Amino acid sequence: MTKADDRIDKTEDELFVQQAKAVFEQSVDGLDGQARSRLNKSRQMALAELDSGAVSLGRWMHWAPAAGVAAVAVAAVVLWNGNPQLNAGIESIEPAMSGDLELLMAEESFDMLQDLEFYSWVEIDAEIDVDTGEDADVG
Amino acid sequence: MTADAATFEVSCTGTTQTGAGTLQREQTLNRFLAEVEKRALRIAVISVRDRDEALDLVQNAMIKLAQKYSDRGIDEWTPLFYRILQNGVRDWHRRQAVRNRIMVWTGRAGKDDETNDLVAAAPDPAGRTPDEQLQNIEAMQSLEVSLTELPARQREAFMLRTFEGLDVRGTAIAMGCSEGSVKTHYFRAVHALREALGEHWQ
Repeated sequence: MTKADDRIDKTEDELFVQQAKAVFEQSVDGLDGQARSRLNKSRQMALAELDSGAVSLGRWMHWAPAAGVAAVAVAAVVLWNGNPQLNAGIESIEPAMSGDLELLMAEESFDMLQDLEFYSWVEIDAEIDVDTGEDADVG
Repeated sequence: MTADAATFEVSCTGTTQTGAGTLQREQTLNRFLAEVEKRALRIAVISVRDRDEALDLVQNAMIKLAQKYSDRGIDEWTPLFYRILQNGVRDWHRRQAVRNRIMVWTGRAGKDDETNDLVAAAPDPAGRTPDEQLQNIEAMQSLEVSLTELPARQREAFMLRTFEGLDVRGTAIAMGCSEGSVKTHYFRAVHALREALGEHWQ
């Protein structure tokens, strides 16, 4: 094939491609209402998916207080069952523990959860004081 | 200004920017999908020869793009969208092949072979005369028939380059192959189509 033939062939290819493109575009313009409507619905569904990232975060934030309360309840149960001294003298400590639970279940319990270590230290310290009689007002 | 007030202000500003950013991204994606959806549907219809299936494939491609790639640059969306669509088309053909084998095995072949009408009989939205409309329908039908006779990769390359107007690089991304392969498939497709449709097509 000569260079001139090659050029003619390329031009004919380009013409053919342009024709094909034009026929295709006309068929796209001729899409019926039903197809357009369905495409529109599909697009809205896709955009809703885009929102769902933000929405799911929103939903998570919405449930955060409830999750916090549940976590506090679990922590309370663990504290209750995990302390042998509590289990041993359960009758005498029960009123105090129920008070603790009430406190833990209160709205401000998040702060308390953060300072859980401190409160458990205070509790242990108080028990040591009772054992050694330092805090006893006897005598 | 107290520390708390400063924190509140920063927090509020951040929230507003995020909200505006999301809205802007949503609007941009909406425009992109509206621009691409009709051509994508026609390409999918040619690929699977069934309009309902094609609509499902386009819908899946839209949703996947929004879910996975909406944070990518806008210039990447077109090749990514068509990559998802082409993968969907290939999966559809694989499923059809399996389904047909099962149908043949159970003796139920040929019951679902009807293809939907590709252009509805409703008034032409483009406002063409019935003669023009008929001429275009016939030309498009001839082109579609010739396209369906091409090997799948040649058809993909031709439709992405010619109908969607992707460049060689974008087509390579959409097809998941090298730019050299795109050039070869496209070149062969153009020549095969010209030969099949003849000099007096359209």
